[in-house]
Amino acid sequence: MVRVKLENVCKKFGNVVAADNVCLDIFEGEFFTILGPSGCGKTTTLRIIAGLERVDSGKVLFDDVDVTNIPPYLRNTGMVFQNYALWPHMTVFDNVAFGLKIRKVSRDEIRRRVKEVLELVKLSGLENRYPHQLSGGQQQRVALARALVIEPKVLLLDEPLSNLDAKLRVEMRSELKSLQRKLKITTIYVTHDQDEALTLSDRVAIMNNGRILQVSTPIDIYNKPRDLFVASFIGKCTILTGVVQNRSDGYLEVKCDDMTLWGVPAYEDLNITVGSRVACILRPENFKLEVSASDNVFDGYVKHVSFYGSRNEVKVAVRSSELIISFDSSVNIDVNKPIKIAIPRDKVIILPYHAT
Amino acid sequence: MPAPLVDENSLIFCFSTNYFVVRMDGLWRKHIDLFLLISHVIPLIFFAFLFIFPLSLLLSSSFLYYGKPSLYWFSSIFSDTYFVNFNPRTGYLFDVYGDTMYIWGLDYGIILNTLIVALTTMILSTVMGLISAFILARYDFPGKNLFRVLLYTPMLATPFVNAYVLGKLFHPTSGLINYIFYDLLHILPYRIDLNGLVGISIAQSLSYFPIVYLNFQASLLNIDPSLEEQAENLGAKGFSLFRRVTFPLALPGLTAGMIITFIFSMEDLSAPIGFIGYSGNPLAKKVMSYYIFQSFSEAMRGVITPETSALSVILLSISIIGFILIKRYVSLKTYASLSRGGRWNPRVRRISGFKLLIVYVFLVVLVLVGSMPQVGTVILASTDWVLGGVTPKSFSLEYFYRLLHPSVSRAISNSVIYSSIAVLIAVLIGASSAYCVARFKGFLASILDILSTIPIAIPGIVLAVGYFMFFTSFFRWTLLDPLIDPAPLLILAYSFRRLPFAARSIFAGLQQVHVSLEEAAMNLGANRFQTLFRIVLPLILMNIFGGAILTFVYCMSESSTSVTLGALRWDRGPITFYINQVVYGSIVVGAASVGAALCVLLMTIQILAIIISNYVLKQRFAIYGF
Repeated sequence: MVRVKLENVCKKFGNVVAADNVCLDIFEGEFFTILGPSGCGKTTTLRIIAGLERVDSGKVLFDDVDVTNIPPYLRNTGMVFQNYALWPHMTVFDNVAFGLKIRKVSRDEIRRRVKEVLELVKLSGLENRYPHQLSGGQQQRVALARALVIEPKVLLLDEPLSNLDAKLRVEMRSELKSLQRKLKITTIYVTHDQDEALTLSDRVAIMNNGRILQVSTPIDIYNKPRDLFVASFIGKCTILTGVVQNRSDGYLEVKCDDMTLWGVPAYEDLNITVGSRVACILRPENFKLEVSASDNVFDGYVKHVSFYGSRNEVKVAVRSSELIISFDSSVNIDVNKPIKIAIPRDKVIILPYHAT
Repeated sequence: MPAPLVDENSLIFCFSTNYFVVRMDGLWRKHIDLFLLISHVIPLIFFAFLFIFPLSLLLSSSFLYYGKPSLYWFSSIFSDTYFVNFNPRTGYLFDVYGDTMYIWGLDYGIILNTLIVALTTMILSTVMGLISAFILARYDFPGKNLFRVLLYTPMLATPFVNAYVLGKLFHPTSGLINYIFYDLLHILPYRIDLNGLVGISIAQSLSYFPIVYLNFQASLLNIDPSLEEQAENLGAKGFSLFRRVTFPLALPGLTAGMIITFIFSMEDLSAPIGFIGYSGNPLAKKVMSYYIFQSFSEAMRGVITPETSALSVILLSISIIGFILIKRYVSLKTYASLSRGGRWNPRVRRISGFKLLIVYVFLVVLVLVGSMPQVGTVILASTDWVLGGVTPKSFSLEYFYRLLHPSVSRAISNSVIYSSIAVLIAVLIGASSAYCVARFKGFLASILDILSTIPIAIPGIVLAVGYFMFFTSFFRWTLLDPLIDPAPLLILAYSFRRLPFAARSIFAGLQQVHVSLEEAAMNLGANRFQTLFRIVLPLILMNIFGGAILTFVYCMSESSTSVTLGALRWDRGPITFYINQVVYGSIVVGAASVGAALCVLLMTIQILAIIISNYVLKQRFAIYGF
């Protein structure tokens, strides 16, 4: 179990910046997720931690020991690859035992530990199968067992669930979580799937264009994004841009084209003052039909209703803007009818605006 | 396990960059990975000594006139009508004297002759290869697989004997062809004497058309059928579909096949020597490869003249231009990604009736004509045909028994020993450079990519001249001095010339092994060497064996350096040197049959190799191609 630290890590591939001054501090025993769209540099960051990729500058520390120049085979990390990378010429047993054989562990101990870890991932009895004789989910477990059996300092998971079908993915997600809880192993998980990130992680880092934009708990990532990209990438939202007009009681009055909104700045240290150009983040589920005095109120008409089972997603045109709103599907909404909706002031999150 | 700290002198690896820097006590140092170093440097040394240095020496000697830089040798060559002559005075092309029509070709001088022969060979091979590939790739008919197997026949190696057999078949008075079509059936108005330059071109076309056939067929089979189906969906059909979609998609394969045929024709020694051996035809001598061969033989114990160097440089330049064209057009990578195909259902159409008849007639004639040299070789080896007469009179195993004669069996064992060692070297160097090309995509890797494929385009005779000059000047009285013992140099020459077979086979294997399989091993604690031996090698073992078998077969039938360097010490001569001696030198009456028997031996080895590759190793037995 180690604490993993990345200090000012930079990595370029030709002209593409894969890691731009990345700083991360991942605590002992933590389930840490790096979340971002494809090509954002999250896999590269993981590979840098594993030692499979060299940094251009910066440092990688395991428990304050600089491992930046240590080759991957001496780092003692356990990695699960996106394609599992199971060796097709070896049985499940040989695949899992590989790391132990390299470490010159005795035969009896190898047998004991492989048996143990296969029990842990619920694969007992499949020792003599070859990878091609296993299902996708089983292959994924073998890859996990192979990484765990060496008792790595840190478990690195590179989109391990992305090759599974939707149902299995959700099942494996909870298994993975309980396994990690049981072993208390520092785990770094890379994914582009926000559901995975939010459900599994103790903390999440949002990455885009090689930069870490925010590191927070899943709840804060969703409710208190620090960055416009984070806000738009996680969950659905309506973004209205405007200029701050006024400030009172910690609330900001923002003029967005043809309407005025009251909201709260996400963080006080963002330095939003009167005259700042800002973006207002409105989450669909924060709208309501009952209007109270302090709310922001909109008069619009319903353009479109999409049925999502338990919820309806409603698009409401308000002057020149369009709001995305989510209602319980028991609420009856008619298309092409006028509608009055409201959102409380403290549910409007205000962020500095910058063009993306 | 505690985190081991890297000490100052340790060698560390890196995947994406070729070296990396470790900061120690405020000093920046370059630490180079040992594995990386070895896998780049060993092949580079090999290519430096067996390609770059010898050919540089050859190049520089051709530009020196009594020690001063000069274009003298080139201008003297190009102004000499012996080399370039736009008004041919000698030669026969469809000239009739008495009852015989002489088809020898016109003498445009050695350089132009070579180009004309190569061009003719290329065109003839393309016509035969294109049609047969298309028929076999797109039509289904009874006996198709039989024809597919039979079309392998022309590829079987019959060095020197092939042209000897053709000369015998087309002999105006005692040739079988003339006997059947003139004397017996009276179809031909004249007896045909096919010899000289035309003969060379015909002999070459018969051996090389399968190169075009295989390359074009591979391209055709690898076209995604949905591309053609889309075109049909948009209204294209028949010839228009072929011309607009199919043909352009398969063009890279066809072009590669055509250019290789052109290069092989230029460097070929086997056809000229065969015709000269049989009939002493003067026009068969007038090609560049033979001229260089002859001056090499004359200079064996002396020096290579600058004129020979200059002519070699001209031959080399044309070949390298061809190679560059292929590289630009169909790179090794493109081919490799194409060759992974065959997983979809190819578009095959059943044919019947008149069309089927035409297809049968074409294929039967092609197989009959194409396998003439091979069938003739077997007959020559197993009967008294060599003693004269239109047809053989009696069956005899005498010539096979003569293979047991000490001088012949020595040649056989020489070849086996040379080829075996050469295979080891070629596999080692080929694997090393293929690994660099497949895994470390640096500048040096791209150089290795070129170096490991270029041998296919280097004329063997030019290589022999370059090696002779280089190793007798800089390695005199060493193990590598061919004047003392040509065997070590021959082994190296074989391994260089046949390296592409090993390299390409292994490269194809490496492409199937995802990098993450190696990364996973290193992640679990295996260092580079452990990863190589436990993960990579077991996964590409079949490709290595396949490449080794292929390399072995082509080493056994290597002729250009065998008949030149191999001639420096008779007791060191390999099989092909011996065949050349008995066919060309005609020491004893009937000796050509011993050569034919040796060819039968070579063909047997080749057939065994094909069977092992296809059925045991499950590898496609690739012939020539990119």
